[in-house]
Amino acid sequence: MSESWAFLTENLGEFFKYTGFANATPGHIAMICIGLIFITLAIVKDWEPMLLVPIGFGMLIGNIPFFSGMQVGIYEEGSVLNILYSGVRYGWYPPLIFLGIGAMTDFSSLISNPKLLLIGAAAQLGIFGAYTFALYLGFSPSEAGSIGIIGGADGPTAIFLSSRLAPDLMGAIAVSAYSYMALVPLIQPPIMRLFTTKKERVIKMKPPRAVSHTEKVLFPIVGFLLTCFIVPSGLPLLGMLFFGNLLKESGVTRRLAETARGPMVDIVTILIGVTVGASTQASTFLTAKSLLIFAIGAGSFIIATSAGVLFVKFMNLFMKEGNKINPLIGNSGVSAVPDSARVSQTVGQQYDPSNHLLMHAMGPNVAGVIGSAVAAGILLGFLS
Amino acid sequence: MKKFNIKRYLLVASAFMLAYMLSAQNIYDLRLNEVLPVNVENYEDDFGIRNGWFEVFNSSYGTVDIGGCYLTNDINIPTKYRIPKGDILTSIKPRQHVLFWADNKPTHGTFYVNFKLDETNFIALFSTDGKTLIDSISFPKNIAADISYGRLTDGNGKWAILERTTPSSTNVVVEGETANQRLLTNDPSGAIMAVTAMSVVFAALALLFIFFKLIGRSAIYMSNKRAQRAAEKQDKYNKPSISASASVRESGEICAAITMAMHEYLKDEHDIESTILTIQRVKRTYSPWSSKIYVLKETPHKK
Repeated sequence: MSESWAFLTENLGEFFKYTGFANATPGHIAMICIGLIFITLAIVKDWEPMLLVPIGFGMLIGNIPFFSGMQVGIYEEGSVLNILYSGVRYGWYPPLIFLGIGAMTDFSSLISNPKLLLIGAAAQLGIFGAYTFALYLGFSPSEAGSIGIIGGADGPTAIFLSSRLAPDLMGAIAVSAYSYMALVPLIQPPIMRLFTTKKERVIKMKPPRAVSHTEKVLFPIVGFLLTCFIVPSGLPLLGMLFFGNLLKESGVTRRLAETARGPMVDIVTILIGVTVGASTQASTFLTAKSLLIFAIGAGSFIIATSAGVLFVKFMNLFMKEGNKINPLIGNSGVSAVPDSARVSQTVGQQYDPSNHLLMHAMGPNVAGVIGSAVAAGILLGFLS
Repeated sequence: MKKFNIKRYLLVASAFMLAYMLSAQNIYDLRLNEVLPVNVENYEDDFGIRNGWFEVFNSSYGTVDIGGCYLTNDINIPTKYRIPKGDILTSIKPRQHVLFWADNKPTHGTFYVNFKLDETNFIALFSTDGKTLIDSISFPKNIAADISYGRLTDGNGKWAILERTTPSSTNVVVEGETANQRLLTNDPSGAIMAVTAMSVVFAALALLFIFFKLIGRSAIYMSNKRAQRAAEKQDKYNKPSISASASVRESGEICAAITMAMHEYLKDEHDIESTILTIQRVKRTYSPWSSKIYVLKETPHKK
């Protein structure tokens, strides 16, 4: 009897050694807490729930302590999580998300007023401002490029680029990018108010003209050819974005467009969110570098927003009265679709409730998506 | 918009296209890159023999086929050695090199030319027409054995005696320098990179802006013209019509609002929801898998 008891206690003792309780470190607990904060923010505050819930839960998955060798961890070759993570590691999830984004984006406001494209270009200054700042802080050019892309306010692009240039920092970069995208309604309004006068905030823009079907079909084809001939390294993102849009606008591939913008993008969002979350492990995430990445990320959003607003003011210098652009849509040049456009609308209505800027802000907003994909292509071309 | 403007824009667009086509990557991007005139203890060729060699570099970012071009060591005989066509090895990948052995034994293969380097101290690469000079180099006579003379930077650098011979590889011999290190050395603040990249982003989106500005103007012009034609037709039958300019002045939003209002008025529809409560379950048995709409096309018929 005593032998059996000894055997049982020995087995239980061995089993305990395998459990997460025996292997937990303060790092694991800290990461689990961060994951729980993300889930709480998503559920209670409704901040980017589609992204923060999968990322937050992914953090819980990735930080359960275990003995390596059981083929369960995300970094263990052949494990289920590792196979799912290949979409992030080899960068094929982001282009699929771009396919969905293309299939759900209406470029009409941009086509009807194409000068808004330039605002999307100006706002990319956030990326390169952050790049120079990161270099100054001692990051290598590849790392600096990956950190800089946070300023593009585009999660899939940030994941795509960092998976190629700085895989070690990808977790921190992705979490930083998505966090700041969720915080767009808090970060942007003070900057928009700082750089605009009361008179500028109530500028009423001309309603956009009706755009023909031909123009809508031409846009993805010409957009793809022009941008990819200039930046071939942006092919995966730009190709899928414009292809998705062609599916939508052609009018003859309705089912494909619906699948791309519906079930497919949902599936990939789940997979990318949960695997990016699971890849953030304490040893790589809880470092001084991560804190710096968060700081530079905030800076890049501030630069991008400022550049967008100031560029609109600059454009207005050359425009006739009646054709002027409301600078409050300048913030939308950062991608973060459609949150930053919503911010333009909300802030604009605070000063003139009859002024609806949402439609106009969608122009620079979608231009920002194209601009950040082009910028990612350039960084990839220069730094890889 | 005047007709003249459309022509002008088309002309500009054609000029852009032409300029682009002219700058396409081709055999004119090939460059003589390195030459070793006297080979005593340097690399051996495929037959285990040491001979002088020279290297051609594809400076473009596209694959270029050197087959059909001519090599010579005498400017007066440009077609001295014709590089055979049809050999897959003559396709040089972007930013890659190809090596020729100057052993005066062309029967050894595609990359063995019918002259020696120490005869004239000159090499030239001619185009497939045998007349157009692509690149040439006169190298010093007194180059020591096993020392190569080449460009300091592949493709476009100054020629000089190289620190070491680098057949079929880059002449830049800084050990282990990566793209990152080069950027850190040449652009430590990142300012050059930022300016370059922003310029490219602006260029890409500015091109889109120009294109769609032109397309937009054409669309407005065409729609004006259509409306004008319709108005003329109406006038012909003495019927009252909306003026062409007025019909296009209204935005899509206004048109949509008017259409919706008319639709609601004519159909007697309103936006108040039905207030009937029901416990009946809404049944949807439809499935696209069983739908004939998706699998069958309309039967063709004569009209």
